[in-house]
Amino acid sequence: MRELEKIEVDTLVVGSGIAGLQAALDLADQGYSVAIVEKAPSIGGKMISLSKVFPTLDCASCITTPRMASVSHHPRIKTLTYSTVDAIKREGKTFTASVTRKPRYIDEKECISCKRCEEVCPVYLPDEYEQGLGAKKTISIPFTNAIPQLPVMHPEHCIRCGACARACPKDCIEFLQEPAPVEIKAKAVILATGYETTPMTAKKQYGLGKLPNVISPMAAERLLAPHGPYGRVLRPSDGMVPGSIAYVQCAGSRDKSIGVPYCSRVCCMYAIKQAILLSGSLPIADITIYYMDIRAFGKGYEQFYNNARAMGINFVKAKVARITEDEKHNPILRIERQEGDSAPAEVKHELVVLSQGLLPGCDVSKFNLGAGLNDFGFVQLSDETVSSAVTAGAGVFAAGVVKGPRDIPDSVVDAGSAAMEAASYIRKL
Amino acid sequence: MADAKKLAEQLKKLNELRGPVPQELRDRVAAQNKAQKAILDALKEGPKTAPELAAAAGLPEDRALWYLVGLRKYGKISDVAGRGDYPKYELKAGEAK
Ligand SMILES: Cc1cc2nc3c(=O)[nH]c(=O)nc-3n(C[C@H](O)[C@H](O)[C@H](O)COP(=O)(O)OP(=O)(O)OC[C@H]3O[C@@H](n4cnc5c(N)ncnc54)[C@H](O)[C@@H]3O)c2cc1C
Ligand code: SF4
Ligand code: SF4
Repeated sequence: MRELEKIEVDTLVVGSGIAGLQAALDLADQGYSVAIVEKAPSIGGKMISLSKVFPTLDCASCITTPRMASVSHHPRIKTLTYSTVDAIKREGKTFTASVTRKPRYIDEKECISCKRCEEVCPVYLPDEYEQGLGAKKTISIPFTNAIPQLPVMHPEHCIRCGACARACPKDCIEFLQEPAPVEIKAKAVILATGYETTPMTAKKQYGLGKLPNVISPMAAERLLAPHGPYGRVLRPSDGMVPGSIAYVQCAGSRDKSIGVPYCSRVCCMYAIKQAILLSGSLPIADITIYYMDIRAFGKGYEQFYNNARAMGINFVKAKVARITEDEKHNPILRIERQEGDSAPAEVKHELVVLSQGLLPGCDVSKFNLGAGLNDFGFVQLSDETVSSAVTAGAGVFAAGVVKGPRDIPDSVVDAGSAAMEAASYIRKL
Repeated sequence: MADAKKLAEQLKKLNELRGPVPQELRDRVAAQNKAQKAILDALKEGPKTAPELAAAAGLPEDRALWYLVGLRKYGKISDVAGRGDYPKYELKAGEAK
């Protein structure tokens, strides 16, 4: 272990998705100091990997990148990436968080982000940023607009050839680097740990993630992103341009069999968004959305849905009982229509997206901060009608999907309330 | 640039700390190198699709695509403009000839 680094701030923000970033910026702009801790090697959360956002179809990274840059350059915000919060202790009116900076195996102060190490590294790995569809190297900068632009080395995939160290112009490769402990003292904590999507392996009937052309919605976001893994929309089994694409709604929400009985709120909208974007990039493709009922919650959302229908996207009210595949890896859906002819039918598509639900990104009860959780592991507010950010733990606030599934505009509004509540709490101390 | 002696010492220390590089990883990298070479060799004959490259390199189609997009990302291969169900790829000028 390296020497203990000590940080003292007004507020600790855990998680740097759009909610954490916005809460940190709001507080810092009001004069409060903030430390934001992110477990991933870059800040930005889920939003930075989205293609475009509903319902405006603005480019997601064009909105997220400036916020990420403001956070990382803000004189009152200290950003710790690739760091885990191991414990948070409450002592009187102060929180003390024990954080570990994981080793990147480079000298972060010296690195000039030239990528030479990555260019010469001979080992290719599945790139989790591209949901495994693309490749990265054992030492690599996480993605093009990652902040900070610092490489991470994965020692378990390193053949110790030394090529990176020989190529680095600043002599920053440190094969023997150790984790570094950090202690953060803060007066308030904002939980913004977001979500994970239901795993591909959740449902046996849908192939347990073994069917190559049945993909997650995050993978579909990457296929649609301008600098995605293939540079265009192709299917993973053989690089074909798919001519027939289907969405399976509620594939991991409103499903008691996998313990997710709630509606994940954003799946209908992201499916419609992706369908619209797909029909833009593949004008002759046939796109079908199998749904039970469409839930269009927010402002302008109903209109968005109507636009999609007008564009020729097929909405079929049907339950998808099972997915298998033929010898060419074309997914075959066994559907039970809920309207008209209800006899079970088998339909073949070339690519299928499972509209997965949202699960809590972190079990925050492990921090013992007094913030209650609901039955599904999301943070419960002490009184939703009074504030959208106050939890049962004094000085502990919540922002974004950590409180339950919601979209980006709601997460941003939430972040504003969390910042306001935290500020007023600190002022009263 | 790292000092050769210092680097050798670090790598030696690393071997002492973590044991030798696992055989499984060595095998995986050898398979990767073989697959990538086969793909690049096949492309010397001219542009090809992912299934064509899979056949030429004796790889499953999804693996061939994955290697292909890795080589594309790191600048060895580029897309050929054009239509069709299966896009074609070609060697980038000056690469691996
Ligand atoms: C496929 C898909 C498409 C979507 N498209 C849209 C759209 O078009 N428009 C829209 O409005 N919404 C969309 N959404 C919803 C949107 O992604 C969320 O509303 C938003 O990103 C939530 O932000 P957040 O900050 O709450 O969470 P996240 O983005 O999940 O951020 C949480 C962060 O906390 C970090 N973290 C977690 N645990 C810890 C820990 N213990 N320590 C440190 N860090 C931790 C995570 O690494 C992450 O960076 C989509 C969702 C999906 C699944
Ligand atoms: S030493 Fe490891 S990280 Fe560096 S180039 Fe070789 S394999 Fe890649
Ligand atoms: S080669 Fe060295 S300076 Fe360049 S990105 Fe890699 S670690 Fe940083």
